Amino acid sequence: MASTVSENVKKEQDEKSWVDYIQKDLPQHLDWWPYTLGALPLTLFGLLVGTGLLLTFYYVPSPERAYESVDQITNEIYLGWFVRGLHKTSVDLMILFLFFHVIRVFITRAYRTPGELKWVSGSIVLFVTLAMGFTGYSLIFDNVSYWGMTVVTNMIGTLPVIGTPLLHLLRGGEEVSGVTLLRLYDLHTKLLPVLLGGLVLGHVVIVRLLGFAEVKGSRGFHSFYPEHTLKMGAIAAGLLLLIVNIVMIFPPLLGPPANVQEVASDVSPPWYFSAPFMWITLLPGPLALWSLLGFAGFFVVYPFLDRVLDERGWPMEIVNALVAAAVVCAMAGLMYLDTLM
Amino acid sequence: MAVVHDDIGRRRFLSQAVMGFGMLFGIGTLSFRFLQFLLPTEARRESETVLIGAESRIPLGEAVPMDLGGRKILVLRTEEGVAAFSRRCTDLGCLVSWNKERSQFICPCHQGTFDRTGLNIAGPPPRPLDRLQIVKRGEQLYVNIQAT
Repeated sequence: MASTVSENVKKEQDEKSWVDYIQKDLPQHLDWWPYTLGALPLTLFGLLVGTGLLLTFYYVPSPERAYESVDQITNEIYLGWFVRGLHKTSVDLMILFLFFHVIRVFITRAYRTPGELKWVSGSIVLFVTLAMGFTGYSLIFDNVSYWGMTVVTNMIGTLPVIGTPLLHLLRGGEEVSGVTLLRLYDLHTKLLPVLLGGLVLGHVVIVRLLGFAEVKGSRGFHSFYPEHTLKMGAIAAGLLLLIVNIVMIFPPLLGPPANVQEVASDVSPPWYFSAPFMWITLLPGPLALWSLLGFAGFFVVYPFLDRVLDERGWPMEIVNALVAAAVVCAMAGLMYLDTLM
Repeated sequence: MAVVHDDIGRRRFLSQAVMGFGMLFGIGTLSFRFLQFLLPTEARRESETVLIGAESRIPLGEAVPMDLGGRKILVLRTEEGVAAFSRRCTDLGCLVSWNKERSQFICPCHQGTFDRTGLNIAGPPPRPLDRLQIVKRGEQLYVNIQAT
């Protein structure tokens, strides 16, 4: 009898609760707001999946019905405008916070060895999120959607070797058509969200496995659950409040439907594509495309470049601060030019 | 006795390698077929001549937009005669429009500009507009749509 009791106690000690698997003390600096910028996009991603699912109940991915169904969601269906507004605002904020997160990681050089994989996985998350943004606003099928689809697929088509097959794969034919809309819809509601979910999970796991970057003066630790989880919950609730307010003050609008016979005078994309849009306007076609691709490649491998330059004695803190300032100023300048046109 | 076992090891490796390659080949072929399923079959377009109307119906200095079976063109009449251009901007495929005041073709997407002969003169376009051949039979104009 006595032996069974002690066995039971031992068994209980061996059995871990689910919390134990994710329980790992977090460094003190994660309490400081710039270090919570990664958790915000994650929260927004959850909100986007929820509102996105709701939108699929009314959206119809055909050229004849797409715009009409978005119009219906915005103007007729009970709370449709609110759900669409939540979705749209969450995207804008998700990308904004991702940009802030990138800037924070870049300036603090948090990608230093052994954290290169954190940066590389995170940069893929950023690119897939931008692809979600593009496929998402294409579905509205207004002028910006239609000509955006045309221009972006054309850009992909100018790539050597893989360009033409990829163009046909995306468009489902030579021209932008109903098949193209259906493919972008499939990408936006099925392939990309699953991919993004996996990538985000991978990014978080990698960050936990490789550990958080060391920050000067951050010596203390606090527990992941309940301390950190509660704090994140409070931030998520605050964020939700902010989003609801934004949607109430700026309800989602809808431009005129796509006119495939005439390009509208202003086909500027959403703000997060505004800078590359101006860039391809200012530079000759191939040069613009290759410089954008080069920038993206450079962005992904930056931690390795940092390592090489650091070994040669470059003051990387200062270099990064200057590079970040230059890129942010250039993007702001290009976005300003876009508003002038 | 021990020497015999080495032979079995090699045989096992070879059989596994053959199976492995077979499987890869099978999966590869299947994936290729799936890719073909997603890629549209290219419809061959024949070269044809389409009637677009009488020359006198196009005002001087104007360009008339037309949609010939999905192929969007602009027919421009100037002092030099009538010319037909594809409306597809050579930059990223938006549609150009004729600006009468400036006597230029303008693409609103990225401000590509072409002169009245279709030559790219400003903005990102890397080459002139595609030009279509015009055939005149009596008063009637025909445009020759090339096979693509």
